[in-house]
Amino acid sequence: MSQPIFELVDNLPTNNMTVMMLKSLDFVVPGQWQNLVGFENTIREVTGETDEEMIQQIGDRAVWLYNDKSQGYQKAMWLYQIVDSADNALGAAALANKVGNRIPLLGGLLTKVTPNPDKAQSLDLCIKLVVELVAFCQINGIPGDSIGDFVTALADYSGESLMRMAALICVDGLIPLGPDFILKAQSILGDTSPRELDSNATFKEVKDLIPGDDTDSQLGFIGESFDSVKGWMSDFVADKDLTPERVFGKFQGFLEFSEDKLDYVAAFLDMTTNYYEHTGTQTLARRLIERAIAEI
Amino acid sequence: MLRLRRTLFAYLLGTILLVTACTPQPSSRFEQAQQDSTSRGASAVVKESASGGSFNRYFPEPGSEYERVYTQEKKGFAEAKLKKAGKEVAVMAISDILNNPSAVDKFKNSTEKIAGYPAVNQGSTGTAILVEDRFQVKVLSRDPSFTESDRKDWLSKFDLSGLSQLN
Repeated sequence: MSQPIFELVDNLPTNNMTVMMLKSLDFVVPGQWQNLVGFENTIREVTGETDEEMIQQIGDRAVWLYNDKSQGYQKAMWLYQIVDSADNALGAAALANKVGNRIPLLGGLLTKVTPNPDKAQSLDLCIKLVVELVAFCQINGIPGDSIGDFVTALADYSGESLMRMAALICVDGLIPLGPDFILKAQSILGDTSPRELDSNATFKEVKDLIPGDDTDSQLGFIGESFDSVKGWMSDFVADKDLTPERVFGKFQGFLEFSEDKLDYVAAFLDMTTNYYEHTGTQTLARRLIERAIAEI
Repeated sequence: MLRLRRTLFAYLLGTILLVTACTPQPSSRFEQAQQDSTSRGASAVVKESASGGSFNRYFPEPGSEYERVYTQEKKGFAEAKLKKAGKEVAVMAISDILNNPSAVDKFKNSTEKIAGYPAVNQGSTGTAILVEDRFQVKVLSRDPSFTESDRKDWLSKFDLSGLSQLN
């Protein structure tokens, strides 16, 4: 049996690497993300309700909806979790007592980090984007391969959903791949064979939930999705005047690293954060609660 | 003796820490719903309920001052945001009572009608009407500027006679 939704939301951390990283990205989407944790808190915040009986009814209905597998919420949760869980061992062990101070990304810690090659990083970026699309459709109920609906909805993203996209662009795009990350990822994706895609660790995990009958058509779907969203991403980067240097500058608030080790920063964050799972849990809770209050 | 006492103390402390660390989390107020909804045969949505997509056409037109953004379309449920000057001020929803029959209870003491259908206020942010004992139409304020009378006004703008024939 999967973990209850109220536990997942109650157990969201209030201060870890993920939270520090997302807070440092506030400058990209000011005021959009406040790290709302706790299931009851979320009910109060989303609905504005204070009546205890109402809160009980809303929470109960949200729990029922989450547990009905036909409704897709658990698939979405699983997607957000799995796409982030590649390697978090380092995070838990090495950083247990360092949170709250600047973490020196030097010496011993550095030896545990290996930067991803551009190819793996580009595929990760594209796959994460498609995971967002599929999870969006699972949660909001638009048919699973409706890229057009997703692109329209992106323009209306706010709160933790917008923060997730901001982090995707910064942490999985700009920092590891540089300012021309969109062109680079698209060109690498274009050169990727179905066989190569099948050997990508992230893809292996989520393959079953990506639309398409075989890897070839799934690769096509990933390419088509990226193509539809790249305009939104490049506008986002331009509007916010985002550069790798500006993002690095903010990360120096909680990470200590030297300028010649920038490629290690992306790999380190990849290993020590789970921002998709964290903000995905928050998005899911919000949508469930919105539906629950309307149905009771 | 002192050493023995220290050893015992350390042992005792260790035991206490171990025991408290293993104590389960206090039971949540939503635990009962968790148990009920994961028992055999439980479902939150029944297959007889109308599709969410079939509700979309009965939502009110936004007019020039507001913007309407459809946000969720699930079995037995559809929802749209109402935005004014880019800010979310309310949400509007239609849901099929078949999926949550106890939602009808609150209408039993209803004394008010909107467009001929029984209406109730619910909590501090919501107003709902019941159409043909089957569909619940609800408007929820998401900003203090959107008042109870705004909610009633928007409820009356739904195509309720159209919706009543979906039954």
